[in-house]
Amino acid sequence: MAKVKKSTGIAIAAVLALAVVAGGLIQMSSGGSSKGGTITYLTHSESWTHADPNRNYTGQHLAWFSSYMHRTLTSYARAEGAAGSDVVADLATDTGRSSNGNKTWEFTLRDGVSFEDGSAITCEDVKYGVSRTFATDVITDGPTYAIGMLDIPSAEDGSSVYKGPYTTKDNDTAAYDKAVTCSADNKTITFNLKRAVGDFNYTTTYLSFSPVPKAQDKGDAYDLAPVSSGPYKIEKYKSKDEMVLVRNTNWDKKSDPIRNAFPDRIVVRFGLAEEVRDQLILNDSEKNSMSLDSVLPTNLPTVFDDAGNPKGDFATRAINVYDPYVTYSAVNVKKLPCLDIRKAIYYARDYAGLEQLSGGAAFGGDPADGVIKPLMGLDYAKVTGLDEFKREGNPEAAKKYMDAAKTACPDVYAKATDPKRGIYFDFADTDTNKKQAAIWIDSMKKNAGITMKFNFIEAGSYYAVVLDQTKQGDLSRAGWAPDWANASTVIPELFTEAGGFPMSQNWGDPAYKAFKEKSDAALAEPDRKKQGKMWAELNQYVMDQMWVIPGVFSKTQEIWGSGLGGVFFWEPQGAPSFGDIFIK
Amino acid sequence: MFAYISRRLAVSFFILLAASFAVYVIFAFLPFDPAALTCGKNCNDPGIIEANRRRLGYDLPFFTQYFLFLKGLFFGRTFGEGAALINCPAPSLGYSFQQHACVTNLIGEALPVTFSLAIGAIVMWLALGIGLGILAARFRGRIVDRLSTIFVLIGTSLPTFLTGLLLLVFVVIRWGLIPFPSGNYTSFFENPFEWAQILFLPWLTLAFAYAALYTRFVRSSVIDTSNEDYIRTARAKGLSEGVILGKHTLRAALAPIATMAGLDFAGLLGGAILTESVFNLPGLGRLAISAVTKYDLPIIVATTLLAAFIVVMMNLIVDILYAYIDPRVRVA
Amino acid sequence: MTLLTVKNLTVEFPTPDGLVHAVHDTSFSVSAGETLAIVGESGSGKTVTNLALMGLIPKRTANITGSAIFESDNGPVDLLSIDRNELRKYRGKDIAMIFQDPMSALHPFYTIGDQIIEAHQVHNQVDTKISKARTIELLEMVGIQGAATRLKSYPHQFSGGMRQRVMIAMALVNNPSLLIADEPTTALDVTVQAQILKLLSDLQKEFKMAMILITHDMGVVAGTADRVNVMYAGRIVESANVKDLYANPLMPYTQGLLASVPRMDRPHTNRLSAIPGQPPSMIALPSGCSFNPRCGRKNEVGASKCETQMPELTSRGSEHFSRCFIGEGA
Repeated sequence: MAKVKKSTGIAIAAVLALAVVAGGLIQMSSGGSSKGGTITYLTHSESWTHADPNRNYTGQHLAWFSSYMHRTLTSYARAEGAAGSDVVADLATDTGRSSNGNKTWEFTLRDGVSFEDGSAITCEDVKYGVSRTFATDVITDGPTYAIGMLDIPSAEDGSSVYKGPYTTKDNDTAAYDKAVTCSADNKTITFNLKRAVGDFNYTTTYLSFSPVPKAQDKGDAYDLAPVSSGPYKIEKYKSKDEMVLVRNTNWDKKSDPIRNAFPDRIVVRFGLAEEVRDQLILNDSEKNSMSLDSVLPTNLPTVFDDAGNPKGDFATRAINVYDPYVTYSAVNVKKLPCLDIRKAIYYARDYAGLEQLSGGAAFGGDPADGVIKPLMGLDYAKVTGLDEFKREGNPEAAKKYMDAAKTACPDVYAKATDPKRGIYFDFADTDTNKKQAAIWIDSMKKNAGITMKFNFIEAGSYYAVVLDQTKQGDLSRAGWAPDWANASTVIPELFTEAGGFPMSQNWGDPAYKAFKEKSDAALAEPDRKKQGKMWAELNQYVMDQMWVIPGVFSKTQEIWGSGLGGVFFWEPQGAPSFGDIFIK
Repeated sequence: MFAYISRRLAVSFFILLAASFAVYVIFAFLPFDPAALTCGKNCNDPGIIEANRRRLGYDLPFFTQYFLFLKGLFFGRTFGEGAALINCPAPSLGYSFQQHACVTNLIGEALPVTFSLAIGAIVMWLALGIGLGILAARFRGRIVDRLSTIFVLIGTSLPTFLTGLLLLVFVVIRWGLIPFPSGNYTSFFENPFEWAQILFLPWLTLAFAYAALYTRFVRSSVIDTSNEDYIRTARAKGLSEGVILGKHTLRAALAPIATMAGLDFAGLLGGAILTESVFNLPGLGRLAISAVTKYDLPIIVATTLLAAFIVVMMNLIVDILYAYIDPRVRVA
Repeated sequence: MTLLTVKNLTVEFPTPDGLVHAVHDTSFSVSAGETLAIVGESGSGKTVTNLALMGLIPKRTANITGSAIFESDNGPVDLLSIDRNELRKYRGKDIAMIFQDPMSALHPFYTIGDQIIEAHQVHNQVDTKISKARTIELLEMVGIQGAATRLKSYPHQFSGGMRQRVMIAMALVNNPSLLIADEPTTALDVTVQAQILKLLSDLQKEFKMAMILITHDMGVVAGTADRVNVMYAGRIVESANVKDLYANPLMPYTQGLLASVPRMDRPHTNRLSAIPGQPPSMIALPSGCSFNPRCGRKNEVGASKCETQMPELTSRGSEHFSRCFIGEGA
């Protein structure tokens, strides 16, 4: 559990160059594509985490289901590289119209859109779908943007007064009906927001803004049998077995300009042993199949050379690219209110040792210089002031900052160097992490004289524990990817008190006030270029304060059989372009 | 005999009750919060967690929760409300929010898979283990015996996941001797041929490991029994070697095998986790292990209880069977 | 009429420690209807001798030489040289055996009825009903009450003495001409011992069969046997009819054995005496007379003759043989 699997963010100019470096310029989907056949996906997972559109929240799931089954108001363009980050109209006729200073957003549904049973998709269906997000006890794991953004008051305990469509007790349904309205012809949906959201039409790319037919909603069980609005519908879906999609005959290509619908059938084989899954593809014994999981580290050398480029016949059926994630160690500023100590930790770390454990730079990724990835284009600028960074650790720099800490913050210094107290680091309890911990302990002792200790937390409940601000240690491992191509889903989420992932607990820091003001300003900035510059400056600010110890700009590898064409890395979702894959 | 079985059944019932209580206690005091887990991986909203705790009944006192569980077993249980209402009829073992199904149904689907795996494997390994064990004992010190020693050595030292993986990667993927199964499991009643085809390698994998143990055990048991006085008596009567081995030696030598096989069978029914994982069989072992990694409490409780139930029942069956084989332990 | 003639029987077991000389060049004979007792300590070769005759020693484990001519209904056969499968036809039919420990000699998983019927069926191609009737007849003959119902009982439901009766019934079911009883009373209570011995002699007369009685108990020998072979370290050391042996034991070992038996006909003056020392290792027998390390009378033979030379079994009178230098040539 290194990363929070949120959906993805994006690249602009840098993407193409990076893709080339990674050796993965792949066939284009246009031209040579053909219809028919069965595409098989292989995975070790026993089932999809969720198939219910409201509960989908990982880039891969969003990419897969939005390609084949679930339509929503807006979508990312089906295109390689930077163009993929453009928002295009999907169920709606356009990418939305805002008014009231970006606090009201309106979408009109296309003519001829329907569910798999042929019934027309109406505004009420979208409204009902969005309402399910509020039933947090049933519709779990999905993004909760609707709760945070829609203009619905909060109850005393902080939860929304609207509790979703399943309960009547103490449920203020009227508040929801006021926040989301449908036009008389049931074709136009209007969202009233509590604050200005300039890029709300990015939010609506989430499948939690998909239509759900009320009559067929079964609450939790809808996850097993969601109703399709896209080109394929479920014929069979069984955990630990398989999912079979067949053509949805009620889907009309004329109402859907963005989906291709190449194969006749799509099969997902669940629960394969990892080695078996890899071997089926490496051996090319299932030519029309693709792995949905990471390649086992032991199999990477079969596919890629030392530089990370696909070799031999894998040149046309493997990619090694940057994914949207940045890993880091969040500093609990409340417990480590000493900039010099934080810097000493950063410089004392044996990055090279940790990198080697994760398979080397060719597969693991490059050292991060902040929480914004170069793939983010506009929002990224190289962070300065980190010149003393050395891969194998820099004991001179570390000692310099430790000496400074001795006078600047003697209490924290005493704690950090006391063998009985030391600095506590939260890690998920896995074998790899235990090896990493050994490297941390060693390099901290050797390079900075810091005593480092570890809280190993059961992997499944890791985030639940460390996000409890009373339980968090001094440092916590984490990973994050932007929810869409804007650092508005990174900087405020990670470093403001109201954010969704505030593991730095930095609001007590004297530097916080100025930071928060600038962050709010950036959120409200209508000029995207200016906004991007502000995010880059805030990223620099975060690093100046060392609120996180940056980790890796991570990479991912994908492999597939020789029978498939049209595969490319769909940047906004950080996953292959499932909808463009065809059988050669 | 009837009184004996009734008494044993009554004791079994209390053992299971105690087991269910123990499992509940263990999970009640584990340092994790089931309500926080319902909130999703990134959820840190205390409002949502608290609301879910109330809605899912995790705020109720421990004994109330346990009582509701027991009540569900006999009268069924419902969860949620409105369109999201879920009804799990008796015997309800709860509802898994991670698998979106009543636990009883999940067990009902997984049990036949594990049973199929276990029954085929036990037939294979008993045939192989007993056959080879008898041959090795009969031709002690000769080539058959030597070969069986090698078999035992390999069989007992290779872990099943490795055997299984080797079989899959080479026999199926590399050499293509058997086609890669198109499905994960087919019911015997649906298509017995496909059922056997899918299960053949898993059976072989399990049988390989167990047959090795049984070969060793049968060999020494047959040799020990051959030295018994009553075998000498049988020979003194003028019986042929075939009758002596087949009737007199094996009856006594294989009696302990019944106990061993019964308990091994019970163990497998609890779930052959490694074999099921390698061969992607949706059985009880997989159900249990994925529930453990995801803290899916209702499934953990149910699979643990089921495993206890199987072991208790199998013990009873083995005892009855043993009494049938060995008149000395027969109860009046 | 001589029923069985054993000549030069030698049984050796090769073991990793060396060759075990269990029986060495032993010859004796048994006449129809007579009782021959073979007496000796454990390990003296008395049981091995008889197992060898019955073909119950696996061929691969032992070297067996010599001959044993048995006068069967179909003429004489050499038990040691005929095919084992052939021998099987005599085993349990013409020659039957009963064993020391009735607790372990019966199969615990089968009813006694099944086991006796099986013994009858193997040598008689008759209907099971006939075998069953015969079984009941035999069980009644050996003194088991309610035989018809007791058929269905398992061995563990009987006492030791009753089990030995069952064993006897099983041995006699085919009307054998020779019964080998290997320590038939050793494992039983003293009171039961007498009953079983009595039963054996009664049945012997009734069935007109010869019996080889193997025992270490001279007391048992006195009341039952016609003739006695005393064995020591794989060899017959003295052979005589029972009266001669008791009246005039020649070999010091035999004398020792007799001295260790309490006797009613002697005054209580002397304590019972045990033979000093341990039986010799069958792998490395002492040189000379095997008994010499324990012999109290070897001084009577001069010049350490007993330590260097093995005495022969020589005749000392009518049907009386002894393997000892003392009194040799007298």
